[in-house]
This record gives sequence, structure tokens and C-alpha cells, in this order.
Amino acid sequence: MRTKIYIKRFNKLDRLFHFFLIVAFLIQAATGFGRLFITTVWGKELSSFFGGYENSALIHHWVGALMIAGFLLHIIYLLTRMKLRNLGKSIFGPDSLVPNLHDVLHLWQRFLWFFGFGPSPRFDRWTYWEKFDYWAVFWGLPLLAITGIMLIYPIWTSRFLPGWSLNVAALLHRAEAILAVSYIFIVHFFIGHLRPSSFPMNQAMFSGNVTMEEAIKEKPAWIERLETGKNLEIVTAKAPALWFKIVYFGFGYGALVFGVYLLINGIIYSPHIRLH
Amino acid sequence: MATAVFVSLLFLPEIVFSQEEVASAIRRYKQYETSTGYYEEYEVLPQRQRPMVGVPGVSRGVFPYSPGAAVVRVRTRLADSHRGIKFYERRRCEDCHISETLDIHTVRANLTCRQCHGGEPVASINHYYSPMNPIRRHAYVCSKCHEGSSASYASYIVHEPAPGSSKAREVFPLLYYSYWFMLLLFAGTLVFFIPHSILVGLRELFWKKGKDEK
Repeated sequence: MRTKIYIKRFNKLDRLFHFFLIVAFLIQAATGFGRLFITTVWGKELSSFFGGYENSALIHHWVGALMIAGFLLHIIYLLTRMKLRNLGKSIFGPDSLVPNLHDVLHLWQRFLWFFGFGPSPRFDRWTYWEKFDYWAVFWGLPLLAITGIMLIYPIWTSRFLPGWSLNVAALLHRAEAILAVSYIFIVHFFIGHLRPSSFPMNQAMFSGNVTMEEAIKEKPAWIERLETGKNLEIVTAKAPALWFKIVYFGFGYGALVFGVYLLINGIIYSPHIRLH
Repeated sequence: MATAVFVSLLFLPEIVFSQEEVASAIRRYKQYETSTGYYEEYEVLPQRQRPMVGVPGVSRGVFPYSPGAAVVRVRTRLADSHRGIKFYERRRCEDCHISETLDIHTVRANLTCRQCHGGEPVASINHYYSPMNPIRRHAYVCSKCHEGSSASYASYIVHEPAPGSSKAREVFPLLYYSYWFMLLLFAGTLVFFIPHSILVGLRELFWKKGKDEK
């Protein structure tokens, strides 16, 4: 058995943010769906797990407040990661998640590769779908936060906006939540768990590391850049401990099963919501 | 002069947004319950938004009073809105107003029609003495449950139209366009990413077998 070389992909803070987001998102999805589906048998069961219709809302509000705090902390974290001396490169460079023209090119090459008309694009640190994942949360969270605050404090909101903006806020909150839940539980889970190259689970976001082989295969431009910049030694990392592996596999699969449970029941019971 | 203005500002009451004469919603409601049904003595017009029934296609101001108020129906100004309807006594509200039972107040809070619209005769929404008239709806109807509601707050559309419908396009364009924007975003995201995921999965199956690459 030969030893594998691991390289660092996510630092502790990145992983902590992601872990927090998973837990918060699942609680929000469950408490929110419990309320959305309250007219159905399943919705009643789901919200009774959280203490009923009113209590689900209470939990939803507090976890929402924590998510807003997490988002603000994340903004501060982003600002600390920007390098003022080299602002252009730190925003538009390959280590940044800001989309650029390479992503459009990669998308095109990726589609050619799907049908066998060329090699897979030489991805750098972040692929276009990873960037999409990030920005989807980045715009979805403020939208849910603002509409959510409007709905928690309707009378206060109606001092600044006409009352009928609450109709729109309720619609946007629900629609964005359904979009987020569908995207995460279908596409994100497929990419993270089911696609052949990451099956049974893409461990990078939990252990923080990827193996060298995997990185060369998936993100050749990143490794090349690290090699030419003589940074490869800096980012080599240790293999995750076995107990830690067991913990995050359990957690990841727990999240997967719970997400799919919400998604399937949501689809089954959606005709019985009894709202417009 | 400036000092005088400043001192008078200190003693003037704070601006109240709904411009209510009586601040407490609870006291106001008790008065309503015990009153004779004539409300003029308590009334002050809401300050921020003048409730006006618009003419379809003509909006006043940047934000019209409420998108739903733009509809002028035949029976919106009667003292008894159901006057002359045959077999009215034998009918239930939802026999005719079926789409009015599909909103959050009815479905989630289990309110009955009477709890807001009152007993017989049900006055038209815009009848001058109706508690549902937008000039006093916030104080006489909404504040039964939502303490502190203002006229602006009362412009929330309880019986909102189905957001994707052509009716919504007429009476509540913002809701209509938000709905279609979110729906297209939803459909677009999934229509792109689900086939994308399937293609990734299929391609990588062959990739693993080494049919690809140098």
C-alpha cells in the first residue's frame, strides 16, 4: 500500500462555515417545510417534531438570525482575505471565487467533453459549478434574510413599505426557499456524493484535503500553478484521522438522507398545500 | 426663532404613522363593539397613503394605495353587498367566493369569513360606513389580531390572486412578475443543472474505465 499525498483545499474556517451552513440549512428547511405543508399529514408530523406550528416558527426565526450573523461574519472574513496591495488579482485571480471569462470557456469545453469532442477543461482551483454553488448561496441568503425579517416584523415593515410588499416578500421567501432546497438536495448532493469521481462522498469539504491524484485529474491548472509557484510543499497536508472520517461520513450521509426525505415528501405532498 | 422651533419640537408629539386618534388597538376595538355603528367621531384620515379607489389602468402616485384596490367591481359600494342575490340565506360564503378561501388567513389561521367581514348585512368594501373601508380597515379589522396595524399595513392583500394568473397581472403586477421571475429562475437552474449532472455522471463512468484521455 503506497502512501497518498494530500493537499489542502479548505481551511478550518471554510469548513466551519460550511458545517454551520449545513446544520442551519437543514433546520430551516425542516421547520419551513413543516409550516408550508401544515395542511398535510406530513407537514403536521414534521412541525410537531419541532414543537408545532408556532414553535417551528420560533426556531426558524432564531436559526435565521444565526444565519444572518454567519453571513455577516463571512463578509468580514472575505474582507480579510482580500489583499489591498494586489486587489485586482485577489478579486479576479484564480484563487478567487469571482466568475471570469475562463469559466465561460470551461463551460463550453466541458460540454464538448461530455459528448467526446475534446479533453476535459483544465480547471483551476474553483470550477464553474463550484462558483455557481457559492454565489447561489451568496444571493439567496440575503434575499431570504430580508424577506424573512419583513415577515417577522410586518407592522414595523409597513411603516417603511406599503403593506402589500408583505405579499411579495412571502412569495419571494417561499420561492427562493423551494429553489434552494431543490438545488441543494438534487444537484449539490449529486455532485458531492453520487457522481462517479466523488462517490461515496467528496471528503474535501469535511477533511479539508484532497489527494494529489484526484487534484491532478480534476484541477490540473491549480496543481501546475502551485508547482510553478513552489507552493506545493506549503499546502501538503496529513491524511484525516480514522475517527474523524467516520464522524464526517456519518454526518454527510445523515444530511443526505434527511435532505432526500424532505425533497421526496415535499414533492408528494405539494398538491395538498391548499394555498394559491 | 430657532430656539422657539426647537423647543416646540420637543413638546410636539412624535409623528404617528397611521395618524390614529386612539393609540391602543384594543381600546379602539372595544369602542367599535359597543358603538352604534357610526364611526365619524373617531376618524382621522391615514396620513401616508390616501385610500383611493383607482380606475383600472390609472395609478396614482409611485405606489398606488393597494394593487387590489384598483379593481372597481359593481358591488363595492353597497350597504348590503349581497342585496338581491337569490337564495342568499341558503348559501355559504365559499359557494361563490371559492378562491377567497385559499389564503393564509383562511388556510393557516383558520379564520372564518365572519371574523373579518362581520355579520349580516355584509357591507361592501368601499361603502362609506363599512369597517372594511380602507380608511378604517386597519383600526376596525386588522387590529383585532395585529395590534398596532396602520393603514399601510392594512393594504396587505389578504385575498391575493393566484400569483401566476392573468388576474394577478392586472391587479397586482409586482406579485405577478416576482412569481414568474422566480419560476423561470427555478426552472432555468434545474433545467440546466440536472442534465449537466447526469452528463457529468455518465461521462465520468466512462472516464473511470479509462476509455478517455491519453
